[in-house]
Amino acid sequence: MNPTLSSRPFMSALRWLVFAIAVVVLNFPVIATLVTSLKSDAEISSNASLIIEDPTLDNYAAIFAMADRFDILHYLMNSLVASLIGSALAIGLAFPAAYAMARFKTGRSWLLPLAVNLRAVPLIIFAIPIYLMYQQVGLLDTRLGLAFIFALVNIPLVLVLFTSAIAELPFEIEEAARVDGASTLRLIWHVVLPMSLNVVAASSVLAFIYSWNEFLFGLMLTTSRATPISVGASFFFAASGGGVRWGVAAAVMILATLPPLLLGLLMYRQIGRSMTAGAVKG
Amino acid sequence: MTRLKVLLAGAAMLAAMGLSAAKAEVTVLGWPGGPEEAGLRKVAEAYNAKASDADKVKLIFFNRDGFFDKLAADLAAGTTEFDVNLLATYALGRYAPFMEPITLPAAAKETFPEKVLATMQYDGKQYGIPTDLSLHFMYYRSDLIEKLLSDADWKKTYGEISEKHLGKKLEPKDPDQWTWEDWMATALFFTKSINKDSPTRYGSVLQMKNLLFNMMVWHSAARAQGGDWMDASGAVTVDSPAFRTALEMYKTLYDDGATPKDSTSYEYAEANAAFGSGQAATMLQWNAAFADLDSKEKTPAVAGKIGTVAPPTGPAGRFTHIHGLGLGINKASTHKEGAVKFLDWLATPEAMTIYAKAGGSPALTDAVVANIVAERPDLKKLGEFAGSYGFVMNGGTAAKALQVYELQAKEFTAYWSGEKTLDEALAATKSGMAELLKQ
Amino acid sequence: MERQTILQGRVLITPLTAFLIALLGFPLLLDLVYSVSRVGFENIRAPELSGLGNYAKALADPEFWAAAWFSLRFGVIVASIQVVAGLMLAIFLAPLFAARPWLIAFLMLPMMVAPALVGLMYRLILHEFVGAVPYYLLEWYGDFPAFLGRQWVFTTLVVIETLQWTPFALLILHSAYAAISPDVREAAALDGATGFRQLVSIDLPLMLPAIGVTAFIRFIDSFRVFDNIYTLVGSGAGGSTTSMSIYIYQAFFKVGDIGLAVAASMLLLAASFVVLWTINRLTARRDPA
Repeated sequence: MNPTLSSRPFMSALRWLVFAIAVVVLNFPVIATLVTSLKSDAEISSNASLIIEDPTLDNYAAIFAMADRFDILHYLMNSLVASLIGSALAIGLAFPAAYAMARFKTGRSWLLPLAVNLRAVPLIIFAIPIYLMYQQVGLLDTRLGLAFIFALVNIPLVLVLFTSAIAELPFEIEEAARVDGASTLRLIWHVVLPMSLNVVAASSVLAFIYSWNEFLFGLMLTTSRATPISVGASFFFAASGGGVRWGVAAAVMILATLPPLLLGLLMYRQIGRSMTAGAVKG
Repeated sequence: MTRLKVLLAGAAMLAAMGLSAAKAEVTVLGWPGGPEEAGLRKVAEAYNAKASDADKVKLIFFNRDGFFDKLAADLAAGTTEFDVNLLATYALGRYAPFMEPITLPAAAKETFPEKVLATMQYDGKQYGIPTDLSLHFMYYRSDLIEKLLSDADWKKTYGEISEKHLGKKLEPKDPDQWTWEDWMATALFFTKSINKDSPTRYGSVLQMKNLLFNMMVWHSAARAQGGDWMDASGAVTVDSPAFRTALEMYKTLYDDGATPKDSTSYEYAEANAAFGSGQAATMLQWNAAFADLDSKEKTPAVAGKIGTVAPPTGPAGRFTHIHGLGLGINKASTHKEGAVKFLDWLATPEAMTIYAKAGGSPALTDAVVANIVAERPDLKKLGEFAGSYGFVMNGGTAAKALQVYELQAKEFTAYWSGEKTLDEALAATKSGMAELLKQ
Repeated sequence: MERQTILQGRVLITPLTAFLIALLGFPLLLDLVYSVSRVGFENIRAPELSGLGNYAKALADPEFWAAAWFSLRFGVIVASIQVVAGLMLAIFLAPLFAARPWLIAFLMLPMMVAPALVGLMYRLILHEFVGAVPYYLLEWYGDFPAFLGRQWVFTTLVVIETLQWTPFALLILHSAYAAISPDVREAAALDGATGFRQLVSIDLPLMLPAIGVTAFIRFIDSFRVFDNIYTLVGSGAGGSTTSMSIYIYQAFFKVGDIGLAVAASMLLLAASFVVLWTINRLTARRDPA
């Protein structure tokens, strides 16, 4: 730290000011949407400022009053289930593969780059073929089908995180276990996995958030039974038929954003660490 | 690995031809979110109350944004997720290959006028039962127009503004007598940057986003100038003077600031928000917007002060674009018999009365409307406007009509936003349309 | 032993490989077939082989190149601003984060919001009559730009993308900055390097790899931008906001020219592999040195 700079109280105040401005500016879309969600329809059409004259929860109540047409809990549940399965699947598939890559160099030269490069490909190019395939195997409009896509989206990042984390683990412990005659699978399950719990936790949070926010495939591959909230939220834009009810739309967007936002606040440390690791190693 | 791929591909291809398991009910995919949905729910309820278990209908809805994109993918892939699905006049050509033509029940002629039944016909075949009709109203602020018609100072300013911007001195007129020029003069008059005494910021709000529905709205202006997509011989006539005039009208209003400067990103919702805030004096808009705008809870600034008439008159007459929404049968459906039963019932006066009372906008014969008119006075206007002013562009139901709308949306918004000249935009549209509409 | 590890390794990567083949193998194959066929929604099951016409059509389409140029420009500009802004914030705010690490959580929040929803939110926020931004600009300055008009829409999209993803750059650069050992700085201070000179001669060179990686990741993500642009303005007036992904989507769904859309996708896929392969080669060559 630079003592001459940080000791001045003026600089410290300036830092706080910059920090506060950055927080407000960067989070402005969410803040403004939250404000709108607390205004009545009448107030929205007459007062666009950030000061609410007559706060109301009517928009939130209206969402639940529409449950027979747009069941938000159903969409939230779809997102929750599909995101959980998708994240778990990505981790379950990537962990053993990452071990093989880190310790035996298996597939390092082709599978790792191939999987990682998936991150750079606009997945939209697979949309129609996947649709046709899903239709035949009965995965269309199912949470499981959605979960497979979520896993696919997350595999690149998770694989990179695991490979580099496992490479950094001390090899001696594994060797000791091997001498005791443990099989590779047991070794992974009983020795490597427990030592990697941190990175597993961190990447599952990240994978969950990315799954929750996936939009295009949710739109394409679901009809009604498995619609995720990222898509369901946009239904409400036309919910009144006549025009957009901005207040209701804003309230839905807030509800749809809340879970990842809260996760982000609670687990910022893990998310930060895995994003950094994923970026630097990827 | 290669063998596995081939195997997988083969299996999927084979299965693609196969059948899927039978379901117990008839599934209906409706137009989500609006009064159409409310209407369909009531109708389905009434139908299920008397139908046998095997014939009962189940409703599903999906996203309104991108609805037709997804429907195209579903139908092309031969989905069996639904048996009956939504159809629209302008998309008939696109979906007809995946739909089962229907035979109209006798009751249909009692319920719907011929012109309305025709909105669900393609290539001489009937593909659906028309449930709703969409067309345009010219919305205006009745309080402001009233003052304009009576206030001498306003009249004088009106004359000056029209002379300066349109090159001729005009007198304020009743909106039902408007020509497109009168409307433009009114829009300019009620624009604050032109007339600082204007009570509204803008004289109109135009929907100029690169979106096919916006072309439909604007077509009412083009047709009144005499514009059509093709002439009788099938030659594309999109570069006619009529199209030029109508395109220039929008451009003039946009450049002169008579519509919000973000209008090039405006569609239905944005336009309603502008008009609903009380800051726009006129708006050419779909009939469906009226109920919301006139609601005291939703837009107190304008509720009770809205007039609606048919779009203004042009040299070729007075016109409004019309299209129908309806329900037809998915060719891949595994419940066609049940689906036919439902559609047959839907075409009865009884079903359509329920539908209209729940909020839908069907265009019905006079005899049927007479029973509902007390509750839905607007349906009478809807039927009258459709009958007197309704038009469909020549080629408007062609297999690639949707693509034509997309093309026009892209090229015309390029002109309005200043990215292309009028000649460039029209040349590109003409060659593109010739390609899309050739038989 | 050697053989056994190879075998074990293969067993361990089998589930992942099988999953990727199952989910992407058939689609890739079908895409390859479509890209050399005349195919639209009407014959999606029975494409007619037509050779390389779709590739030629894509390469000859000025809009394909316009979309590629849009994405490239967007990616480069957005990535540069994000890196610079993230770097400045990371260094300037470092003392705050050092004392209270949880403060960074509030700056990370924008990344948690779905880009599709961010687009929808701005549709509300930027609207002249219901949005807060035009309201305050009008209040304070008496005027505001047409955010989504032709003149400003690119800038608006850049700002939106920047606001959502600068936190990513901030986060990575912050940890790179925090990882610089105090010893290095003290040694520099003894040599008389303080403040700005220390930053330029010590900190930035040490952070260079992190800066490069951040810029690259941000570029890739912004190059394939879709969700937020699509929900906010679609393809824009006259197609002025058509990114590469939107071009493919439009060709696919709106125009129904599936062959063209897929050929464009394949070109994009090939281009991204070339770029990544080059980068891999470059870094691989540098590593041992």
